[in-house]
Amino acid sequence: MAKLLDKQRYKCALGAMQTVQAIDRALPILHSGPGCAQKLSENTGSSGYFSPNIFPCTSINEKDVVFGGVKKLDSTIENALKVIDADLYIVLTGCIPEIVGDDSGEVVSRYEDAEKPVLYAPTAGFKGNNFKGHEQVVDAIVEQYLKKSDEKIEGLVNIWADVPYQDLFWLGNIRELEKLISELGLIPNTIFGYKRGIENINKIPKAQFNLLVSPWVGLGNMKKMERKLGIPYLHYPTLPIGATETSKFLRAVGEFAGVDKDKVEAVISEHEDYYYYLIGRYADLFLENRVINKQFTVVADAQYSLGITKFLVNDLGLVPAKQFITDDTPKYYRDKIAEEFKKLNFGIEADVSFETDGYKIHEEIKTHDYHGYPLVLGGYYEKEVTESLKGNFLNVSWPHQDKVVFDDFYVGYTGGIRLIEDIYTVAVQRFN
Amino acid sequence: MAYKIAIGSSDGKIVDLKFGEVNKFLIYEVGDEVVLSEEREYIPGEAEDNSADSCSSSSCDTKSCGGNGGGCQGPGNVAGKVELISDCRAVVCKKIGFQAQKQFEKKAISVFDVECEVKEALDKITFYYKRIDNHESLRG
Repeated sequence: MAKLLDKQRYKCALGAMQTVQAIDRALPILHSGPGCAQKLSENTGSSGYFSPNIFPCTSINEKDVVFGGVKKLDSTIENALKVIDADLYIVLTGCIPEIVGDDSGEVVSRYEDAEKPVLYAPTAGFKGNNFKGHEQVVDAIVEQYLKKSDEKIEGLVNIWADVPYQDLFWLGNIRELEKLISELGLIPNTIFGYKRGIENINKIPKAQFNLLVSPWVGLGNMKKMERKLGIPYLHYPTLPIGATETSKFLRAVGEFAGVDKDKVEAVISEHEDYYYYLIGRYADLFLENRVINKQFTVVADAQYSLGITKFLVNDLGLVPAKQFITDDTPKYYRDKIAEEFKKLNFGIEADVSFETDGYKIHEEIKTHDYHGYPLVLGGYYEKEVTESLKGNFLNVSWPHQDKVVFDDFYVGYTGGIRLIEDIYTVAVQRFN
Repeated sequence: MAYKIAIGSSDGKIVDLKFGEVNKFLIYEVGDEVVLSEEREYIPGEAEDNSADSCSSSSCDTKSCGGNGGGCQGPGNVAGKVELISDCRAVVCKKIGFQAQKQFEKKAISVFDVECEVKEALDKITFYYKRIDNHESLRG
């Protein structure tokens, strides 16, 4: 029986074109209907080089459904290579060609000898959402492009985090992670954002290890790279926000990478000193506003739901109400992620619900007793319901209508301070 | 439900005619079986006159007017040809121009501009219609 899904927070797997877009000078070639890219592109900043409006697309129609669209795909790739100057071309398929059985992989394989790499990622909508699509794109790069390297660069670490553009703070977050990692004396390598691109992709096989900072997105990619490229990985499931988690994170990375313990502690204490200096200066603000929000709810994808919950409990001492994870996390990851919500300071455990239906989430928020005004951190969908409860609302997850972010971030010590700033900016407005 | 498919072919074996070149459409009727039910000849005349009316009332030359473009009806022979096979569900030719495609679209007639054997075209199109008419998936 078909059912309605209200206010879902993800797009179809073809939304992975944003993952490709996040790689500098990489171009998605779409084998899909003409409306797909239009619907999937967002105005949250283009790549700085290509606009989604010029993504080559086969614009398949009824004829291609009946007779197959491979010819059109072939000519679209051929001409994209001629006309558009990119470093990497990734063919993404929509639902239609996958349903009618176009062998897109075969067409793409004809371009093995092309001057620039042409890869293929199956991203039909029925295969999953854009989180899954993101993994497909990374998989395509690993499977079809990268080769095992005997040469290793000591201390080189590939950093992987959540899905670009889906995560409003993706650029700032990954830059801040790079910064933290380099402070430990390691060399960070990422493929997304400004001046990264193909050169950094080429460096992937030479890394000492992969670092995945995400509850589940990308875990499959890490396993694939371990098998194919022989790169071990460290999976750190919690997005480190604020001092407590970031210090844990740095210790975990330091230990895995074999960094001298004293060095790690020195980095940590320098950051923590400044962090707590700032917190100390504003202690009055926290105490005065403590009466506003006793309990909070996060409605976000797994990384922010987990990361922010840990931060608000461990660093700010708030009490978690029910938390919601809206990214349709695959079932086999769920228990492990729910476990993480039980590892909070002071013996506190948070209840978490994997729920994609916005209506049900809102009903639960409305009926929960927050012992005062709720603090809700979520997508723009939660704004209205929070206002109806006279609560404080902050837009941290998709959809983002309430916030413009260029390269701001929530990760790390500084990120924690940024999040506190944002939350209390909302809180103090109540008194104006 | 039975329906008709119009095909532009000179020999009945290969779809080898462009829409503009067709003088005689092969009309296949699809019911339980697929049969060639008639050959429908296109006789230029009436349609052009209709579309040319607006032109001839002014002083312009009908021919240049009815050439490319020709207003919302498209060039005269396009409108006439589209009308000729407007009882069909689909039209198959080697090439079909933009104007004609739009005219067919308005009448909800599917356009397939392909170069292949007539049999192949009929097999694929009837398979497709059978699946969607019965609300079946196109997979597999």
